[in-house]
Amino acid sequence: MMNIKTNFASAFAALFMSALAAVAGPYEEYEGTTLVVNFPSHPHYNAVMKVLPEFTKETGIRVEVDQLQYLKMREKQTLELTKNKGDYDLLAYVVFSKADYVYADQLENLARYFMNPKLSDPNYDAADLVEGYVGNIGVAGGDKGYLPGVTGSLYGLPFGSETSILGYRQDIFDKHGLDVPTNYEELLDVACKIPELEPGMGGLASRAASGHHASHAFLLHLAPLGGRIFDGNWNPIVNSAEGVAAAEALKTIVDCGTEGAATFGFAEAGASFLQGTSAMFLDSTVFAGQVNDPEKSKVVGKVAWAPHPFGKRASSQTGGFGIGIPKNAENKEAAFLLMQWLTSKKADKMIALAGGNPSRYSTHADVEVNAKFPHMETFGEALKNADPDWRPIIPVWGKINADLGTTLSKVLTEGADIQSSLDGVAERTKSIMEDAGYYTWQ
Amino acid sequence: MSIANKANRLTPYVFMAPAAIILTVALLYPICYMIYASFLDWSPSQRIGEADFVGLRNYANLLQDAAFRESFWVTIKFAAVVVTLEMIIGVGLALLLDRNIKGMSTLRTIFILPMMIAPIVVGLMWRYMYHPTVGIFNRTLKSWGFEGIPWLSDSNWSFVAVVMADVWQWTPFIFILSLAAMQSLPRSALEAAEIDGATEMQKIFFIKLPLMLPVLIVTLMLRLIDAFKVLEVIMVLTNGGPGLSTEIVALRIFRTAQEFQELGEAAAMSNTLLMVLMALTIGMFMYNKMQENRAVRMKAAASKGAV
Repeated sequence: MMNIKTNFASAFAALFMSALAAVAGPYEEYEGTTLVVNFPSHPHYNAVMKVLPEFTKETGIRVEVDQLQYLKMREKQTLELTKNKGDYDLLAYVVFSKADYVYADQLENLARYFMNPKLSDPNYDAADLVEGYVGNIGVAGGDKGYLPGVTGSLYGLPFGSETSILGYRQDIFDKHGLDVPTNYEELLDVACKIPELEPGMGGLASRAASGHHASHAFLLHLAPLGGRIFDGNWNPIVNSAEGVAAAEALKTIVDCGTEGAATFGFAEAGASFLQGTSAMFLDSTVFAGQVNDPEKSKVVGKVAWAPHPFGKRASSQTGGFGIGIPKNAENKEAAFLLMQWLTSKKADKMIALAGGNPSRYSTHADVEVNAKFPHMETFGEALKNADPDWRPIIPVWGKINADLGTTLSKVLTEGADIQSSLDGVAERTKSIMEDAGYYTWQ
Repeated sequence: MSIANKANRLTPYVFMAPAAIILTVALLYPICYMIYASFLDWSPSQRIGEADFVGLRNYANLLQDAAFRESFWVTIKFAAVVVTLEMIIGVGLALLLDRNIKGMSTLRTIFILPMMIAPIVVGLMWRYMYHPTVGIFNRTLKSWGFEGIPWLSDSNWSFVAVVMADVWQWTPFIFILSLAAMQSLPRSALEAAEIDGATEMQKIFFIKLPLMLPVLIVTLMLRLIDAFKVLEVIMVLTNGGPGLSTEIVALRIFRTAQEFQELGEAAAMSNTLLMVLMALTIGMFMYNKMQENRAVRMKAAASKGAV
């Protein structure tokens, strides 16, 4: 008798619970689903890994992560995206891939998910997402095809995005009474003063190695100095006065850099700053997490941060990663829920506290986050000048980038003439663009 | 009887079939695929069927591409310098060590160690040694009071740097082959020379080297073919820079496929390289054939003379 009673009670309870759950959560329908996602191994995503179990606990959706080295991702994703049925439900992509994936119709347009009342969280607050990041990584189809604009639409959300920031050695600057550079004139001046004041120490640690690194460093100065790679009609203007000024700035920085500066990649430039052989560092914010890690850094507690110096305009780089849903994914709706959760205010803050790069203004201003990472507020300020068009995101960019990078390397190491070198780049770029059909309408 | 006969005649083909099939699948198919791909404008985001057929455009682009011409020139320069140095040092070492030294087998093992190390590791190792401040070369130079050398940041020095690393790795290959050739030389010829009062130098230049020549030619060809395809060490050391000063064709192909996403053009480059290597290989076989023919003729002449 007793037994039957308990059975009854538990059956009733079960019934009641499931009825409750059915009206309770947007996640109910997807409970038990397993999502397969592709993330890079990168400081931001390492922080994400610490936060992911929270998602599973909250929603009952399991997540299986395939973490790859970020340069290897592209190859694997290309294979996956061309299959009829892909293995990935959600993938992180570098900003370069946006052009290719969207053009090849391999990413889901996110409009239909944000329109779906069952999926879209009304408290998501999209306006709080860093605008430059969304424009750079998420939106395509507007201005120039790859930028936001009247005809643009959303294909991904920024996640692990980064901008450029100036790190400097507070102790060295204090010792010699130097002012933190706010514009390019001051920056170049200080960069070349430091080797004189502190023998053996380089001014600014910059990337310069042949190829992508040299090109990246050049573009970093090109946008603030008022230049662009193309004008409004896709004519290369890299050899303009602004382009020459940017190349000259880069050359000055490398010449006043520490020993071997002409072959530095991102890692070497960072290591030089962490080892205390360079007094400044102007590159991605992703680097900031290592500065106060005593295992990697000899400059713990000596580094302060400032926004990217002003040239003719304030313009800091935008880059890093975004997340999107492949067209051939199996669990698209659950993938959207994960995507929305990861970029929500709550998760953004959790990830930031775990050492990731937040993509929301509110997280940058958050008291708790700033208590742990005091540089966040400066980063938040810098983000207001994040420039989504600091480099073109078009399918032929890889080729132009490589040419620009090797040509600049010749300028830096062989003393090639800047104007004629950039003229050469412009001429070759023109023919690449011609082949790719950019002048069809002219 | 006739059935058995037929079966007999078929047997060798049946035995050869598995190898032939594997060869077709594993070798001919990819090559044909590559040749076909070199006529396409193919990005990795497309399936091969979706790619546009562009005929010989990829090859025409290659001819006009200054960067490709430069890497081709770098490759030829690299292969010529590297193989010459390796031949001289390798054969020289073999001549020096062609004697009964105690512990020769241990010494030989130590000598061929560089060859056994994975290329990526070789690249990383040398990269640290070339490091401008903490690398062993510059530290040593500075402790002697000299200026450090910009090993990897100057276009001339970086070429020297990759050549040094390659010579270090592959000289043992030539050393070991020429040592083997030298030790199998007919002792009678050397003894005859000694009786005639030939000096050591004369023995080397008039007897040892001419007799070793067929082996040396094959070794040279093998190294030359290899030098044209070297990739990993240079990729790790300089990644082709500064500028294009160390960008060999293999690296250019890799970057064309990986960075520029132009599989068709990469395939065209691979084919061009394949044709060059093919010419070298055919040259090697022809030389071998010529040598064999000459030996046969000389033998015939000798036996005629004897009669």
